[in-house]
Amino acid sequence: MIKKGFGWLYTGIIFIFLYAPIAVLMLMSFNKSQYNSLPFQFSTRWYKDLANDQTLIDASLTSIYIAAVTAIFCVILATMLMLWIVQTKSKWKKWIDSLVILPLTIPWLILGLALLLLLNFLKLDKNYFVLLIGHIIVSLPYTVMVIKARLQSLDLTINEASASLGANEWTTFRKITLPLLFPAMLAGGFLAFVISFDNFILSYFLIPSGHSTLPIEIYSSIKFGFTPVINAVSTIILAGTTIVILFIIMVMKASLKYLFK
Amino acid sequence: MNKKFWLVSPPVLLLIAFCVIPLFIMVYFSFLSDGADPHLTLSNYLDFFQKGFYLKLTWKTISTSLIVTIICILIGYPMAYIMAKVINSGKTIILIAIIIPFWTSQLVRAYSWQNLLRDGGILEMILRKFHLIGSEPLGILFTQTAVIIALVHIFFPYMVITIYMSLEKMDHSIIEASKSLNAGPFTTFWRIILPLSKPGIISGSILVFVPSLGVFVEPRILGGTKGSVIGTVIEDQFFEIYGWNFGAAIAFILLMIVLISIAILSKFAKEEV
Amino acid sequence: MLKKSLGLIIIFILLIVSAFGCSSSKSSTDKGKKELVIVNWKDYGSDDPAVVKEFEKKYNVKITHQYMASEEELLTKLRTGGVGKIDLILPNASILPVAIKENLLEEIDTTKLSNYQYIFDQFKKLPENQKDNKVYAVPWVWGSTGLAYNSNEIKENVDTVNILWDKKYKGKIAFRDDFNDAVMTAALALGQNPNNPSDLNAIKKKLVEQKQLNRTYWKTGDEFSKLFAGKQITVGLMWSGQAAAMKKNGEPINYVIPKEGAIGWVDNWAIVKDSKNYDLAVKFIDYMLSKKFQEDWVKKGGPNPVNIEVTKNLDAEFVKQMGINEETIAKLHFISYHSDAEKKQWNEMWQEVKSQ
Repeated sequence: MIKKGFGWLYTGIIFIFLYAPIAVLMLMSFNKSQYNSLPFQFSTRWYKDLANDQTLIDASLTSIYIAAVTAIFCVILATMLMLWIVQTKSKWKKWIDSLVILPLTIPWLILGLALLLLLNFLKLDKNYFVLLIGHIIVSLPYTVMVIKARLQSLDLTINEASASLGANEWTTFRKITLPLLFPAMLAGGFLAFVISFDNFILSYFLIPSGHSTLPIEIYSSIKFGFTPVINAVSTIILAGTTIVILFIIMVMKASLKYLFK
Repeated sequence: MNKKFWLVSPPVLLLIAFCVIPLFIMVYFSFLSDGADPHLTLSNYLDFFQKGFYLKLTWKTISTSLIVTIICILIGYPMAYIMAKVINSGKTIILIAIIIPFWTSQLVRAYSWQNLLRDGGILEMILRKFHLIGSEPLGILFTQTAVIIALVHIFFPYMVITIYMSLEKMDHSIIEASKSLNAGPFTTFWRIILPLSKPGIISGSILVFVPSLGVFVEPRILGGTKGSVIGTVIEDQFFEIYGWNFGAAIAFILLMIVLISIAILSKFAKEEV
Repeated sequence: MLKKSLGLIIIFILLIVSAFGCSSSKSSTDKGKKELVIVNWKDYGSDDPAVVKEFEKKYNVKITHQYMASEEELLTKLRTGGVGKIDLILPNASILPVAIKENLLEEIDTTKLSNYQYIFDQFKKLPENQKDNKVYAVPWVWGSTGLAYNSNEIKENVDTVNILWDKKYKGKIAFRDDFNDAVMTAALALGQNPNNPSDLNAIKKKLVEQKQLNRTYWKTGDEFSKLFAGKQITVGLMWSGQAAAMKKNGEPINYVIPKEGAIGWVDNWAIVKDSKNYDLAVKFIDYMLSKKFQEDWVKKGGPNPVNIEVTKNLDAEFVKQMGINEETIAKLHFISYHSDAEKKQWNEMWQEVKSQ
């Protein structure tokens, strides 16, 4: 019991550390001063400004869009890869395993500039196609890790049983593997979404001029200075996410147990 | 099973075309000279190694990343252990709560730290209220400490999740077996649990160490006059003076450092487990 | 075999389709109209919807803006197929001489610009904007990087750049993290020519000496304003425009051009070679120089106008603070063209200072 109490205490301390800056940024979104100065004066002016700030809203939507596309592709690609990897006896398996993990070992800064140099080499302008691919590449290993862990713990003899009962591969996948894998796919997609959403460095290198994602909009307020509108947008995103997650938890309580296994 | 190659070919080709090949192109650029008529040269690398301050910055970047990684292990391991072995309810909630901070931009968080850590800032006010510090200013902002705090904050969830995953996979009966052999909790931990969770620590370390080598925003915003790291040098090459070839050379050197350290880490992992 | 490639093709088609989803589609209902293609910074005056609409209506033309992230990118755009497609661009001194030399720009007939006469003389004489007595670029807006200080904390008369080296303010100074600003400011303090410093070693020493006194280096204007408002710094290098914006927000900030001079910059309009809409482009430049546009923009917080007439309608105190007068402009050293090798040398020196 003491052990448990101690565990919760430690968790509490960690969470104070984890959420202190988050709390501050939320607080500052309600502070009247443009420069985050204290003492604190309550105001909703930054939320009103945000409602009128089309650039920022557009950038946020672009970010969400990119993250969603990234998540979907990562889940599809990772599932394809892992279905192959867990069953194969190919001599290439080891190589492909390392290839998939490769992006984890490259700092984003380097991948971003390598892709930029690729564009330069091909004499192409920066474009969303390469930007998306960059996001997918950095997020893919995370999705793979989650799905792989789940697939390994699944008993694949069910598949063989199903096959021996005459079901074709697609039916087996759809009726058996997919439902079992679904929580992991969801978790993997969730992770990919998060990683892409906050990815500033890759977008910074690859975004076409004149466009922006939320992180870029924040960083490039060099010329015009950023106001707590940014804090307001972050607060709204945080609140929105938390609600969505709570909703998911409520709807899928049972399968969530496997979320991070 | 090999006939199912169509399953792997899309992701594999994607990775080769947009991850492996660009790295080779980067290496090619790193051997090009500047100017209108580029030719192959070693001068970018010679420049780097002849100027002492680049090496100094490289070392500083590596040591900062190492410190961040070690701190992440030290505070992340207990957290993961508590989640996996101590408490039995609310794990999912805790995990999700650890990931939620990802939803706020790193940049905004960096500015938040500025607010918290600055002299006369929120942390100072709180500490003073509880008489934990005297009237002297806090003096954390614009030091290496501030950069490390922010980086640990950003990367530590990766460490918790990977260690948690390896602890969770562990077969509980082994621990029971160890206990039944009269091993104390400390021995059980040291001889059984820790070695078995080593793969988690290793992969967590890679997930923390590698990206910290490439950061440039946090050092710039929180590091003050001592904020230069190799990432800021590369950024300047690409966005300020268009010395792309030299930038590519530094990036390649950084990549080599990463690969060497991963090789060392994985060797370490094999020997011990 | 077919199955194998099918998966691949589907994935890539999906990717390309999703890539298009990112860029918001713009309907082109204005067919048949002439199209004026402009490359500028985003949210930088000329792409204000009201401004665009007014010009479009008056000349029955469609204006299309493309954006640049850096001057270098603009130059690349011109070199790789931009000529003939782009009409108007906004270059500065860092690329103008190269663009003129490579024959990427069209000469501008200033007699067709009704507002050219109102431009401050100093701007018309900028060497980078012309070659062989032909004008290739017309000044549009400008600004300076001078000293800003907290008037509540510093009561003495601030008029010298040496305040950044004053030990009295140790730990309260914010220098700029930018190799160009750093070299030029140190050159001013040492009495060297900021655009062509004679002794880089002395500058390096001077900058290292300065480093010890800093609270921090700032990179983005936003960092400066937060630190200033948070009373972390009391004096530093600052841009004229941002200092004005902060003052407007009630900060106790004073902006001065030191007696040694200060760094200045100018943004210019230029017409791209072989533009199909040369006359329209000239009209657009004229519109951008007009008293009405320049006054509206500076009142909304834009950079300093080049049009002398505008100053009459502005708040006198503001005009004085920003130094929108010939006397102050004469004290500015406008950032001139530097070769890549020179930039590299300056940047490397600055990296070395920062690494110490």
